[in-house]
Amino acid sequence: MRIRFEQQLEQLNIELIKMGALCESAINKANEALLNVDKNEECVAEVMGIEDEINQKERDIEALCMKLLLQQQPVARDLRQISSALKMISDMERIGDQAADIAEISKYVQVRQNASKIHIGDMAKATTKMVTESIDSYVNRDLKMAQEVVRYDDVVDDLFQEVKSELIELVVKDSQNGEFYFDLIMVAKYFERIGDHAENIAQWVEFSITGKHEF
Amino acid sequence: MRKKIFGNMCVISILAILVTSIFVVGVFYGDFVEKMKSEVETEAGYIKTAVEQMGEEYLDEILSQPEVNRRNRITLVNSDGTVIFDSYYNPQSLENHRKRPEIQAALTEGTGRCSRVSDTLQQETYYYALKLDNGMVLRVANTSSSVYASLLRVIPLVLLICVIVSAITMLIATRQTKKIVQPINELNLKKPEENDTYDELAPLLGRLEKQNKTIKLQIEELKVKQREFTALTENMSEGFLVIDQDGNVLSYNSSALELLGMKQAIGEKQNILTFNRSVGLQNVVDEALKGNPSEQEIQVEGKYCQIMANPVTSKKQIKGAVIVIMDVTEKQQREQMRREFSANVSHELKTPLTSISGYAEIMKNGLVKQEDIPRFAENIYKETARLITMVGDIIKLSQLDENQVALQKEEVDLYSVAKEVVERLQATASGHKVTLSLLGESRTVNGVRQILDEMIYNLCINGIIYNREGGYVQVRVENREGHTILAVKDNGIGIPQSDQQRVFERFYRVDKSHSKQVGGTGLGLSIVKHGAMFHRAGIEMDSIPGSGTEIRIVW
Repeated sequence: MRIRFEQQLEQLNIELIKMGALCESAINKANEALLNVDKNEECVAEVMGIEDEINQKERDIEALCMKLLLQQQPVARDLRQISSALKMISDMERIGDQAADIAEISKYVQVRQNASKIHIGDMAKATTKMVTESIDSYVNRDLKMAQEVVRYDDVVDDLFQEVKSELIELVVKDSQNGEFYFDLIMVAKYFERIGDHAENIAQWVEFSITGKHEF
Repeated sequence: MRKKIFGNMCVISILAILVTSIFVVGVFYGDFVEKMKSEVETEAGYIKTAVEQMGEEYLDEILSQPEVNRRNRITLVNSDGTVIFDSYYNPQSLENHRKRPEIQAALTEGTGRCSRVSDTLQQETYYYALKLDNGMVLRVANTSSSVYASLLRVIPLVLLICVIVSAITMLIATRQTKKIVQPINELNLKKPEENDTYDELAPLLGRLEKQNKTIKLQIEELKVKQREFTALTENMSEGFLVIDQDGNVLSYNSSALELLGMKQAIGEKQNILTFNRSVGLQNVVDEALKGNPSEQEIQVEGKYCQIMANPVTSKKQIKGAVIVIMDVTEKQQREQMRREFSANVSHELKTPLTSISGYAEIMKNGLVKQEDIPRFAENIYKETARLITMVGDIIKLSQLDENQVALQKEEVDLYSVAKEVVERLQATASGHKVTLSLLGESRTVNGVRQILDEMIYNLCINGIIYNREGGYVQVRVENREGHTILAVKDNGIGIPQSDQQRVFERFYRVDKSHSKQVGGTGLGLSIVKHGAMFHRAGIEMDSIPGSGTEIRIVW
């Protein structure tokens, strides 16, 4: 019984890592769709495919967690691991959704053309780094890295402010393309939200290690 | 074991007690019966004599004297079987005794004996009959408890003894077991021969010693093999991983860690996904664990890694997989360079051809004034010359590339070659308002004059073209610590740090936009590099943007 429980916990761990990997590639592809002029269509299609996979994974992991909770009645650290996994997957699922939203907006040529004018690439890089590191911290049970991710969210927030003021300037100068600048601010906001979700994941990692959760 | 020893000892002692008591009872009972019989017979003899002399009155006398031993029952029976006298019962109440075996025997043979056990088995009576002279029969009987009764009486005693014996046995068994087992428990298994125990353990200790030696040898052997294997895998530049069927890493080498982007080694039995969770690796591992060898390329921290996974099967079951990771970054880069090269060649060749065809088209259509024709012809001539130089350069390069230079290597004086080149380029240099000078001494190298000439020419022409008005280009042939050095130094525009690695690539230009104005094919330094390689010489470059470049070829 105990061995089986441990196997299931390990399986949960692996599934979470896989879901994290999917989130990473979703953001990377969304980013590529936005910044790489030539490969937009195939990248968007790929992001949509990954998003479906992420949704499926969320349901699978949720079912696994429920099974573990009901059949094994875990306590202490095992319970923390499972409950934080339940919270993490909803954050990951949101990351997948937002990557899909970014890809959706990137279909407009003008959006892509204007994307290179502002610091949105840096934002993409910063959020990708956050997601990667939050999952790394989960994989390696690295408390320090998790705390770093939480702190790094400020960098993404600052970048969002910067992008916002850049866009305001552009709108003032070139009001004809205003619509696309608004799309871009949406993209920036999505990246900022992804950063927040990564921060949440890192906080849940912290919780599963220390048992303390701060909001 | 203690219980078993105790049990066995108990069984043996209780059995001994029982058997002994049965025999003892049997023997003593036999003796007792014999004695009783002879007593009875003696008494019968006395009574017979007394009765024969004194008549029946003697018997009544016995009855009236209670102090006389009356343990024995005395009966007098008439020859027809009727009881005349009995010391226990009234003779009238007794039935005819003629049928009794002892009486019958006495009537026929003079004496008769018989033993009869009572109905309850409790008592046994011995009868002895004697025929008197007057034909009557005298019977004396003694009743004693039977052998069974005696046994029954002994049983409680025997049981008591059994209990006591059991208790003692328990004590002894415990102590004995301890004595046997303790030395075994305290054996020094590492050095069995040195133990001081009882003799019976010696064969076991001998075998232990032998086994220890074998195990030691086998461990040594395994360790050596393990070391060999580790040395082999650790020194591989390829990453090497072994995983089990659940995807847990059983063994890995440091190259694998490095290639998969892991910073530090990890603990036991980690899933492969904790090493690297890229989708490519996941797919490869999944495929391999399904039994299909697979291959994929993934990108880790800017490096391209080719991953190959092969399933490991045993008895037709998949037990895991072996994963080999190769760094193919260089291969990728080479491939990219090749792609860039073909793209560049076609582009470089197309540009002059386009202008030639443009000029020719205008002329064909008669749109050119007569006086402009020489200028157009001049342009066409220039472009063709450029094309020819370029094709020539490409041919030279590919010859050097393939190492297929038809010319024989000979001893060449580098200084004289450099002198020729410098003289030939004086005019060009002065055209660019650059001074070209030659320093140094005569040094001979083993090489091909034509290629050396080409190399010096290309270095000098680069120095002249990428220079400023009033700059200088200095060629030096010198000896430094036994190495021949050909150095070309200028104080021109220099090469930015980021481009210094790439200027030796074919068609690579630092300033891509102005190549047309500067001229040249973009192959010069590439020819120098391949020439140096052909001559087995090294190239050193110092360049500071804005203040000049020095390129040295070192033999």
